[in-house]
Amino acid sequence: MSVIKSKNKNLIYPGLLWLFIFFLLPLSVILIYAVTAHDLVPGESLKFTFSNFAVIFQKKHYLIILLRSLKISFLTTIFSIIFSYPVAYFLAKRTKFDKVLIVVLMIPFWINYLIRTFAWKLILSENGVLNQLLLWLKVIDEPVRVLYSQTSVLLGLIYMYTPMMVLPLYASLLRIDNSLVEASQDLGASRIRAFFDITFKLSLTGIFAGTLLVFIPALGSFAIPAILGGTDSVMIGNIIENQFSRVGNWNFGSAFTVALAVLSIALVLFYSKIFGLESIYKNKGNT
Amino acid sequence: MKNKGSVILTIYTALFFLYIFVPIIFIFIFAWNSGEGYSLPLKGFTWRWFAELAGDRLAKEAIRNSIIIALSSATISTILATLLSIGLLKGLARRTGAFLILLILPVLMPGLTIGIAALVFFRTINFPPGIPIVIVSHVSISMSYVFLILMGRIEGMPLDLQEASVDLGASWLSSIKDIIFPILMPAAVAGWLFAFMISWNEFIMTYFLIGANMTLPVYIFSQLRFGISPKVNVISVLITLFTLCMIAILLASRKIYNKILMKERR
Repeated sequence: MSVIKSKNKNLIYPGLLWLFIFFLLPLSVILIYAVTAHDLVPGESLKFTFSNFAVIFQKKHYLIILLRSLKISFLTTIFSIIFSYPVAYFLAKRTKFDKVLIVVLMIPFWINYLIRTFAWKLILSENGVLNQLLLWLKVIDEPVRVLYSQTSVLLGLIYMYTPMMVLPLYASLLRIDNSLVEASQDLGASRIRAFFDITFKLSLTGIFAGTLLVFIPALGSFAIPAILGGTDSVMIGNIIENQFSRVGNWNFGSAFTVALAVLSIALVLFYSKIFGLESIYKNKGNT
Repeated sequence: MKNKGSVILTIYTALFFLYIFVPIIFIFIFAWNSGEGYSLPLKGFTWRWFAELAGDRLAKEAIRNSIIIALSSATISTILATLLSIGLLKGLARRTGAFLILLILPVLMPGLTIGIAALVFFRTINFPPGIPIVIVSHVSISMSYVFLILMGRIEGMPLDLQEASVDLGASWLSSIKDIIFPILMPAAVAGWLFAFMISWNEFIMTYFLIGANMTLPVYIFSQLRFGISPKVNVISVLITLFTLCMIAILLASRKIYNKILMKERR
């Protein structure tokens, strides 16, 4: 029997080889770029330096962008949790049509996100639909300027990534046994207390899985701030893009990219340590 | 009290779905609006933007490239992921955890990181940017997604089937070919469609790796930067309709798959 298994085992090599050559090797190459100060030429020895990373923390400009990116991504995550929790709860506990509704929810996800971001640009612009509606309703007297600010970037990111929070939250809420909540209420807990002590605590796995799916892509976003943002909402992704497409300082650009990669890997490892990887796979597999 | 809460929850959910769909509805409306700009009230119905798109060579080239890239990367990644899933879940007994982390990384890591890494890597080995590189990088991420889809199916499949076929005289190769592949086929089809859609929509990696060529998302991005023509809306409408077709095919393939499963269980 183990003959079959050991023969089956050989089937991993093509895919594994692919990942090593085209995924891990490129990541190692930018890691080398990040800790050196010159181009990588075969046969030449490397001179290691941390100056690329030091610049990030020394130049106020970059530090501000780094902190701003973390702030925007953090806010995106918080708002996505707040907005999606009632929806996930409704889908998991209050309806029979949850499977259909989940499919419906995923439809926009498949429509190119540049297009949806562009739609927000139209909605939020100075003579856009939102302003015209508010003017017509006499809520405001003159158009509000939302576009090209941190607010519009935040709105775009929240719109884009909130569905990614709904899915794992829904999956975790679905697994909660209703009798636990009923038991706690029978024992005298108020409905609010029962919610926070039982339902909310048991849905934390979903919240953390969702955080991975929202925080990481938000932090690495580049197109949304490029389309909706202005000068005060430049994010890490835009700096990286600028370094590679215009400035051409690969070592510095790589340092920023490595920082982003390390942060996302750390989050994934941290999550798998606490909750186990299975839960990510299960939540992701549903989509 | 409980009812009132339920009503609020229902209304909230309905509003949420509306919010998710508003931008798309909006895009659709302006694809047929005859005015140049994007302001209300609407100016009237027109097919003008469709005609303009039909005459746009760059757009057509972008669509062609997108299709080539999506077809090739979906096919390669489905083959690799199928082999990988059999090897990992029906071969490797221990230490699958490390492999699972390696496989989830391309899914969770920002596309920007992967794209930049590929850009630097291929420049370092002096391979020019273009369609081949884009295909290769798309495979690296979509392989993980296809693997995730296959994983759910293959875990439920007992090893006994393959063992029985070998006991009855089949060679290992034919046990894979005649027993495992047919079982995995519906999931592999779903995975292929998924990989196709990922590649079709992928922007960030492609943007860095495509060089002087265009794919549809890159074309859209360039249009967004240099002033906005309702042509973009027309493309969006076409993509959306195409996407809905793909989703329908995906769901249908799942349904057929479930039916086959039901028959097997009987």
